Amino acid sequence: MSLPAKFDELIHPPTRLAIVSLLAATEWADFKFIRDEIGLSDSALSKQLTTLEGAGYIEIRKSFVGKRPRTSAQLTKTGRDAFGSHVAALQEIVERAGATVLPR
Amino acid sequence: MNTHPDEAGAALASIQSRQAQVIRASSVPSWYWWAVAAGMVVIGGATDTRRPLVLGIAIPLAAICIAGLTVAMIFGTGRGARIKSDELLGGRGALLIVGFVWLIIAITLGLGFGLKAAGTPEPATIATAAGGLVLALSGPAVTRRLNQIMLGNRAGLSNRVGLTNPEQAQ
Repeated sequence: MSLPAKFDELIHPPTRLAIVSLLAATEWADFKFIRDEIGLSDSALSKQLTTLEGAGYIEIRKSFVGKRPRTSAQLTKTGRDAFGSHVAALQEIVERAGATVLPR
Repeated sequence: MNTHPDEAGAALASIQSRQAQVIRASSVPSWYWWAVAAGMVVIGGATDTRRPLVLGIAIPLAAICIAGLTVAMIFGTGRGARIKSDELLGGRGALLIVGFVWLIIAITLGLGFGLKAAGTPEPATIATAAGGLVLALSGPAVTRRLNQIMLGNRAGLSNRVGLTNPEQAQ
């Protein structure tokens, strides 16, 4: 079943789009993994994750591996649906312009 | 919303690129295949000794190591993320994994029983070394094929607007 197209202003900014795109391909991802893959500072990533968590798009889990704290994030169903709808909206915009999207 | 088509296209390309990045970063490392191959040879070598103490220690230990490593790969332990394999691998990916496992088992057991019937010394060691070598050499190709399948099934992206798989396009 395809999701209805709905442009999401919260997801669209490049940094948050990068985080949500990455999480959409995973069950969960460690804070460190997201930080390193996207190339953000700890504080910048924390800020973006807090915004996404506040919207109910992600769930942040804190645990300990031995004595080391470990933080991981996963997309919630709400977040996954919002991402799918946002992608559909982007695709509609491109389709209306009669273009196709080819990766660089 | 007043998003220009170019901006929307760039956002879609960025999504594809990020998802390809996470699939590559989370893929099975080459050393995993060699580690499993080494475990197979330990089992084969122990089998040929026919000593109960060696059989009782080496085989369970190697089996636990192989199983532990495999579970760690499936759950993404140590790699920082677990790929959404149910959506990304799909039926084709699952078939490829099962087929590859059965191929290695068939090569190893077939060769082992064949060598034993021919009276060759150390048949289990030779068979597991051969099976392990096939595993270690072809494992990275299986990983690449699985990555291609996952790139084609990327979460959240449909194929209806000409989105293409960059690895297949190359």
